Amino acid sequence: MQMRKVHNWQLGRNASYVYPQHRPKKQWAIIFDLNKCISCQTCSLACKTTWTSGKGQEYMFWNNVETKPYGGYPVGWDLGILAKLGFQEWAGDKYSGKTLFEAAEKDEKILQHIAEDQDWAHPNIGEDEVAATVNKGDWITMPHRIWMFYLPRTCAHCTYPACVAACPRKAIYKREEDGIVLVDQSRCRGYRECVRACPYKKPMFNVETRISEKCIGCYPKIEQGEMPQCVTNCIGKIRLSGFVSTPDKSKKENPIDYLVHEKKLALPLYSQFGTEPNIYYIPPIHAPIQYLEQMFGPRAGAAVQAYKNAKDDLTLKGLLVIFGSMEKILSSFKVDKDNAYGYDEKGSSIVKVPLTEPMYVRDFHDKKLNAYRHNTP
Amino acid sequence: MLRKIICLIFVFSSVAAFAYAGEKEFVEFSSFRTNIDVGKVRLNDDAWETVIPYKQPLQRQFLVAPMPADVGVKEVFLQSINDGKHIAFRLAWKDTTRDDGIKIMNFSDGAAIQFPVKKEPLPEFFMGEPGKPVHIIYWKAWRSRDHAEGFQNVKTAYPNMTADMYNFDYSIKGNGTDKTQAEKDIFIPGKAAGNPLSVSHKEIIEELSAEGAGTLASKNIENTSGDAEWKNGEWTVIFIRPLNVSDEKSVQFKAGEKMPVAFAVWEGSRMESAGRKAVSPAWAEVKVE
Repeated sequence: MQMRKVHNWQLGRNASYVYPQHRPKKQWAIIFDLNKCISCQTCSLACKTTWTSGKGQEYMFWNNVETKPYGGYPVGWDLGILAKLGFQEWAGDKYSGKTLFEAAEKDEKILQHIAEDQDWAHPNIGEDEVAATVNKGDWITMPHRIWMFYLPRTCAHCTYPACVAACPRKAIYKREEDGIVLVDQSRCRGYRECVRACPYKKPMFNVETRISEKCIGCYPKIEQGEMPQCVTNCIGKIRLSGFVSTPDKSKKENPIDYLVHEKKLALPLYSQFGTEPNIYYIPPIHAPIQYLEQMFGPRAGAAVQAYKNAKDDLTLKGLLVIFGSMEKILSSFKVDKDNAYGYDEKGSSIVKVPLTEPMYVRDFHDKKLNAYRHNTP
Repeated sequence: MLRKIICLIFVFSSVAAFAYAGEKEFVEFSSFRTNIDVGKVRLNDDAWETVIPYKQPLQRQFLVAPMPADVGVKEVFLQSINDGKHIAFRLAWKDTTRDDGIKIMNFSDGAAIQFPVKKEPLPEFFMGEPGKPVHIIYWKAWRSRDHAEGFQNVKTAYPNMTADMYNFDYSIKGNGTDKTQAEKDIFIPGKAAGNPLSVSHKEIIEELSAEGAGTLASKNIENTSGDAEWKNGEWTVIFIRPLNVSDEKSVQFKAGEKMPVAFAVWEGSRMESAGRKAVSPAWAEVKVE
């Protein structure tokens, strides 16, 4: 299989891909703060009720939340492909291992882990399972010896999508205007090459229609300048969506660029796969660094440290409190000592959030209502 | 670099020339003229017993990635008859697994016959080429089972699957239950988009055209009927169509003339699908008597 060379900034080098390098005008992205996710699945349900409530989509979750290290939808999607890829290394910020395209078997486009039928039947298996057995007398250390964390996932709308590369009939395309990757429902013939090839296992087969579907990045909302359903419905306010630039074009006033490039706090999920995914994660501070490095690359340790120090970084602190405070996509933000502010593309104000929530102390006895107030912790 | 390309072109063209020169005599079989009504011939009719089966070797698809490392079906037995109005092809091959049920990661057994729309100039044997379309008649085991037992859906695939309710499909009337099927189907994307795979069809054979790999398109006509049976670890499938049809982009047969033909077979349990298939190595020819 003849491969092209494309630049992958997440790997710090050129990497193999099936098609020549091409970047969209803008690139859709979501940042998730894993320290705040409680796996309430409001995102999953917001997505489901909006997009996948039809026949054949019953167990289909374009957005899902799984418990790491053992949970996964489909079961073992990550373990399967990591085991196939084998031990790979980074040399500093440059990936010296093989990507999935570079590790492809003869006559294949990409190295594949194929999820079996029953792997799709348990959307939330392994929920809340911890990584080790709790012993009598255990106490908590940092990082935790007995740990788990929640990993919410959508399609990564990759810059170099495996699904686009794998589809033999170009029924999947990446939009020029926002980088969203879509399966053309009238063109798909249900071969499931995308289902096999995507390392994140986000294209899914609909047995009712006999063709494949995937997360559409809520493109009708994006077109209106709004964030996706899974982002705006997140009650934990762990998500922020917008557009990510390449590092050379990073704009520090763009909240996504600020967290991904300027602070390097939000890291791509399994960038070693080589698809340049556009879902970025602020890693959890309590999980073992080795595991986080496998999942988020060599900067995971530094990101954990930066997050711990966020309380002393006014701009970063301000940006983190802006998460989940608006439906509109922010083009830029600024922070002063009291508030964080968000603006749209024209510079119009969208949101203003105080860095510290004001506290009101009220009298124990309300004279007007002649009632006593209770503190209910 | 240029020298490299020229060199490669030379190598490829000589390989191709060799393949074509070799295959020209390699397979030619006859569609025998018969007195029976071929339009109504059945899978196991006596008519087939007097027709010599021709063995067509198959090999892995070897031109477009992804290519299967190996394939499940290495040979298919061909028979053909015609009555001057209709032509029938009967394909039989060994396959110990019957793959005709839909599930997320189930792949259907299948077989296809390909003809050039125009013999001169002959299109590339693998899926045709731009400006030189091929006409493909394609049988899929899923469609045979649909025909026998009703269109398979999520309920037949996963009888124990649970869902609280579907939009506009409630047991109590109101809240949209009176909407038309088309309005309800908006929640079933393949149907809403009019994808031919998402709806049931009269025939078990799909007609398609292609002008190169990746350009396959359903023709939305159903001139080919068929029947299929899996018995004792063997599939037998018949394809029946008129010698001539009004559609310009369909194959037209003429008595006394030869028609180039190619075959493909998919073994579902090996996850064969699309280009992961067994193919005849080049154009063969069928002589319509």
